[in-house]
Amino acid sequence: MDAGRTGGRGAPAPDLAAPAGATAPSTAPATAPSPPAAPVPLLALRQVSKFFGAVEALVAVDLEVHAHEVVALVGDNGAGKSTAAKVIAGVLTPDAGQVEIDGEPVTVGSPSGAHDLGIATVFQDLALCENLDVTANLFLGREVHQGLLLSEGEMETQTRGTLDALSARIPSVRTPLHQLSAGQRQSVAIARTLIGSPRIVVLDEPTASLSVVQTAEVLTHIERLRDLGLGVIIISHNMNDVRAVADRIVVLRHGRVNGTFDAASASYESIIGAITGASHAAPMA
Amino acid sequence: MSGSQSSLRGANRVLLVETLRRYGGLTQVELCGATRLSAATVSTIVRELLGAGVVETRTTVRSGRRAQLVTLARAVGLAVGVHIGERHLRLALSDSSHDVLAEQVLPLPVEHRVDTTLDRAALLVVDLLERVGSSLEDVVGIGIGLPAPVDDATGMISVRGILRGWDEVHIAQVMSKRLGRPVFVENDANLGALAESRLGAARDYRDVVYVRASYGTGAGIVLGGHLHRGFAGTAGEIGHVQVDPSGDICRCGSRGCLDTVVGSRALIEPLRGSYGSLALRDVIARTLEGDPGCRQIVSDAGATIGSVVASLAMAVNPQCVVVGGELAETGEVLIGPLRNAIRQRVLLNQIAPLEVLPGELGVRSEVTGALLLVLQSTDVSRQVEEVDVLAAVEGTP
Repeated sequence: MDAGRTGGRGAPAPDLAAPAGATAPSTAPATAPSPPAAPVPLLALRQVSKFFGAVEALVAVDLEVHAHEVVALVGDNGAGKSTAAKVIAGVLTPDAGQVEIDGEPVTVGSPSGAHDLGIATVFQDLALCENLDVTANLFLGREVHQGLLLSEGEMETQTRGTLDALSARIPSVRTPLHQLSAGQRQSVAIARTLIGSPRIVVLDEPTASLSVVQTAEVLTHIERLRDLGLGVIIISHNMNDVRAVADRIVVLRHGRVNGTFDAASASYESIIGAITGASHAAPMA
Repeated sequence: MSGSQSSLRGANRVLLVETLRRYGGLTQVELCGATRLSAATVSTIVRELLGAGVVETRTTVRSGRRAQLVTLARAVGLAVGVHIGERHLRLALSDSSHDVLAEQVLPLPVEHRVDTTLDRAALLVVDLLERVGSSLEDVVGIGIGLPAPVDDATGMISVRGILRGWDEVHIAQVMSKRLGRPVFVENDANLGALAESRLGAARDYRDVVYVRASYGTGAGIVLGGHLHRGFAGTAGEIGHVQVDPSGDICRCGSRGCLDTVVGSRALIEPLRGSYGSLALRDVIARTLEGDPGCRQIVSDAGATIGSVVASLAMAVNPQCVVVGGELAETGEVLIGPLRNAIRQRVLLNQIAPLEVLPGELGVRSEVTGALLLVLQSTDVSRQVEEVDVLAAVEGTP
């Protein structure tokens, strides 16, 4: 039933299953006998800067995301998290630095350009249409045609397959969006990113203003995205949610990277310290 | 022709029941969407199932309109099972027949905090009940499983330091105050033992050891059909049996515990050099894909756990050992070497070789055990019998 989806993803398991997600965390001691042959990250920001007049939104930010990896971007309000997401999503063009995909420098000129490069983004406002149903929202602007007609059956089948792949609890794919809960809408927005077989998914505050059960669903979706072999970037304020699903946590402070943490070993306190500026990864240049 | 049609009907009936279990409760319109059956088919099947007492309907409101909420029928009294694992919180709701009516999973952070986790668990319990159109009043009790030994008398963790930050908290009290229902707290391996020995792989045996190979390792012991907890609930804590006298210091304070050799950190660390940083889930997934390095790690862990379980088996002489927990998802890669390590012990093979079986309940074994604990502690079965008697008296055949 979801053959369309799985086929569409191009069976990523074998080629991505190799040494994925293997960045030595900056906190780990550099005593490893033979450092792992660093795999090429799916997506990398190299020394990316973005200024708005006197505002330093991003200053020489380095960020890497590998397949099968969830990277969390955390920081205070105005730390540059959303700017980084917008640079990756092609909404903003960096003033300096490079965006690389598979190690190749690329220009993400526009959101549709990002989509063509395999980057899908869910912004905080979700950008869904309240009056359309779940299927129509998933395929908005990317409708499947059969001659001149829309292929409704095919789209419904793919929608159901995608929702099942995320283990999302949305009974009917024909429910109009305004009848869904906030959590179900977030599920739809995440499912929408999967149409078109992306390799990188960026989620901006996916659990903000959700109830606990909705948060549970969204965190489960993020785990599923990782299992599907995607690289995931989540932006969040909630340290509990971030630490539940992330492999690595990158702290932004005043547009600069103020520490990268291995989520499995870093304590709340050290991450909070980096967010608040109690600890500094590097002196301000 | 009619044969295939009736089998299709049967398959649709199963699909509908499975869908209800997944969502908790749905209206007929939602059932059409979720099962992709026609409205007429759903209506017919719901009527059939209603007649057979498999489902129930009650009035609810959907987008401002009255609608019929269809749920699985339940016998008196609901039980809630909660498993607070190292990285996941799993909840299940069942009636006295142990049928799971609804369930939910929440990923948890490493070293999750007691206040946040219990708060979230309480909210999820309420939500799970709402999903099946029910409330806390219908709940006879809540069972909570923890990856640490629990003192039966106080319901508190009996060994300090194993679950960091949870030592001082009276978990049963916090939760029963919050939810207003009786709360039972138990070690998760004990719950797994209870579940597998009643409903799972060991249901034909009276003396069972259940091994939970997860982020840490624990065991539950069932003797003569009864759970053996020990004086302070530490019976079966094989994760803290010494296997390496010159090994690392464990979080319990002793040196070279089994958990320092086969705990998640110990399993992941040797892979870091060549694989980078992996999660335990990745190790399991790659083992299943046939990755030689990960298979090596898991099968070595199986052999080490097996040698400790052999000693435990010598002490309690079970008929069978059931292996569960996340690591058991790798199947014979773990269980093969574990079984061999046990069977090398001559004494265990004198009469009949000790059975070593994979668990049948999988990730649900601990919540299922929590449900069983609640149901046996609150004596729902007696209420059910009374109702059955009443039904028999009043019912017209």
